[in-house]
Amino acid sequence: MRDVAIIGAGMIPFGRRDEDSLMDMLAYASLKALDDAGLGDKSVDAVYVANMGAGILQHQTSIASSLVDRLSLLPAAADVVENGPASGGSAVKNGLLAVASGYYDLVLVVGGEKMREVTGWRATDFVATMTHPQAEYPYGITLPGMGGMFTRLYMEKYGVTREHLLAVSLKNQEMGALNPYAHVEMTLDREGIFDSPHAVVNNPLAADPLHLYDLCPVSDGAAALVLCPLELAKKMAKVPVLIAGFGQATDTHTLQEREDPTDLKAVTLAARQAFEMARLKPGDIDVAELHDAFTILEIAESEHVGFFKKGEGGKAAAAGKTRFGGQIPINVSGGLKARGHPVGATGVAQIVDIVFQLRHELPGNRQVKNARYGLTVNFGGFGNNVTAFVLKRVEP
Amino acid sequence: MPVDLELEAVLRPPQLPMSPYPPKVIVLANGKKMVIRQAVREDVPAILKSVHPCLFIERDYYDIVSARLYGELLAWYRYRVKSEYCLLGQVDGYLVGVVNGRLENEKVGMSYHTLAIDRGLRIGSHLFAAKMEYHMDYLGQEEVLIVAESPIGFRRWMIEYPLEMTTIPHELGGGDSYRLTRAIYLKAKPRLVVGDRPVPQNLLDEAEAEIKFADDDTIRERIAGLKGR
Amino acid sequence: MKKEIAITAYKCKQCGRIHYPFHDRCLDCKGRLFEPIKPQGNARLLAYTAIYNLPWGFDQRFLILGVAEFENKVKAMGQIKADSIDSLKTGMVLRPSWEPVRVQAGEDVYGLKFEPIP
Repeated sequence: MRDVAIIGAGMIPFGRRDEDSLMDMLAYASLKALDDAGLGDKSVDAVYVANMGAGILQHQTSIASSLVDRLSLLPAAADVVENGPASGGSAVKNGLLAVASGYYDLVLVVGGEKMREVTGWRATDFVATMTHPQAEYPYGITLPGMGGMFTRLYMEKYGVTREHLLAVSLKNQEMGALNPYAHVEMTLDREGIFDSPHAVVNNPLAADPLHLYDLCPVSDGAAALVLCPLELAKKMAKVPVLIAGFGQATDTHTLQEREDPTDLKAVTLAARQAFEMARLKPGDIDVAELHDAFTILEIAESEHVGFFKKGEGGKAAAAGKTRFGGQIPINVSGGLKARGHPVGATGVAQIVDIVFQLRHELPGNRQVKNARYGLTVNFGGFGNNVTAFVLKRVEP
Repeated sequence: MPVDLELEAVLRPPQLPMSPYPPKVIVLANGKKMVIRQAVREDVPAILKSVHPCLFIERDYYDIVSARLYGELLAWYRYRVKSEYCLLGQVDGYLVGVVNGRLENEKVGMSYHTLAIDRGLRIGSHLFAAKMEYHMDYLGQEEVLIVAESPIGFRRWMIEYPLEMTTIPHELGGGDSYRLTRAIYLKAKPRLVVGDRPVPQNLLDEAEAEIKFADDDTIRERIAGLKGR
Repeated sequence: MKKEIAITAYKCKQCGRIHYPFHDRCLDCKGRLFEPIKPQGNARLLAYTAIYNLPWGFDQRFLILGVAEFENKVKAMGQIKADSIDSLKTGMVLRPSWEPVRVQAGEDVYGLKFEPIP
């Protein structure tokens, strides 16, 4: 197996991109990554497109074939990778394995989603199609609804409080406001969303006990990476970022069949595999992008990947340990909470953000000093399919 | 424009007496303070300057809502509508939202429009709630008739309150009206109607001194830009 | 007339683990033979939420959902008949019923509902 590095990374600002089609967004992000890699007119061997909903939301299929044609990457191999909100992580895995095996040398991975094409009702329904079609979906369950049930159980078992969730929300919005790619460039105010009696309107319940500002927005967006063998990467202009570790694990489709529904086994396993492959420990990580579709998930994942003991993640967040400049900065990009969550794009975008960190390219108010190792966790379904990556800066 | 006052006396509809809406202040999610106060007729030209750029925004039916609001406010300014009122939301003096409506009679109110010029802060929710508060708590009405012209409006008013369906036609010409009754209002009030009174004098002075408005591009960007929420 | 709860759970003939919904192989022992069983008795509330941003097809302000465990250990999701989530508590006993849970294409779709037992 060859070592695989990232030599190009690019994304477009997430938000509500009414003027752009899904294919526009995929193309823009791809070109940014290809240009970032300095490939010029050179083609790639293969393209993996992460997307969850084009068939439902855009009534469009075979989008990888369409993209390579549009980008004049023919006759590159092209596939769509659909794995719910973890599609991005899965697409990067496909690229990683293809290059590691020696079959391909240059691979483009791009993830994108256009969710604001439909109303909130339809978008919520679309995301809910990943729930069990007989045992869950007919009842009106939504992913935030699952998050609500999970949050209550986590609160009851581990003493997580609204204060802990609030710390994550305020932190990620504050960082997102500094990120030009973020969907929500707005800081939140504690009084306005929590302390004031006016918060009952500003920050209403969304999925009890989760409130509006515990949830990520529904976004349009795309992000892309270019992968190649490490030896080739060393000859390129940009500082290579090694995919040092990868892991992926699954769990039961329905929450009810988990022995302990507060135990995110797939997160633990995916992170463990990634750390083992990288021969690193959680304590080695300098910066992490965790899948905070809901604030509780950042807290729970920070425990399940091993940054904190079970039950300590909420307190750590409230104590500022996960802030920029803290013990382990989490979601310096603003996370899904502020950068946004175009579902197919997210897993790729997380890695793009870590690449920027490990190449030391960000402005001082977001650049983690001397960052060498990064971790991403991309959470599919409600934890039933999770990918994790450990990334390493390759010193020039 | 020259006005024939004798003819005007014929054309101007009679007005019902209306108690004033006492201003209130609300802390928004970003910590900014929004003053909600009643506009006076002389405010209309300034308000229209902020409504105008919205006429050309298709997103979320801003074009329809703002075109109608523009006409309604102009009708009020030129005395062509019966018993209309308008409430304003201002942050740092800047106009961030407008709501209006009128009295059909002493007991029944007719809700017109809600236009949020800044988005993602539930300004529309706060202003619509203030409108209902005015009809119920200060004008002493028994019911308000409402229609929604956008999916967001439908979700915010019809579902969140939730309003009652009727077969009464709404004067905006859409479908049948939904109705806010006093009972529905009182039940919804604790979770939807907020605000502090009296408004600190400095905030009120700032709001009343001048209706500031962002330039057209800024307004369009806030409503229809990439970061529109 | 009260309708029978039209859920079938599956008890592994090899190790006894109860599954709902259906799996082709037992999640514990990989066994492929199952005894179909029906949920029995009342149910105990394991997890719950009230959802305010509902998907297409639901016009109400909020919907209370939960996962509950029947007396014979079958676990299933259902809608909870309560005016407010404040009246619920993890571990409380619920009475199950089989009722319309949504309308699709003009037709009632039936499913589990749970009602707190005072």
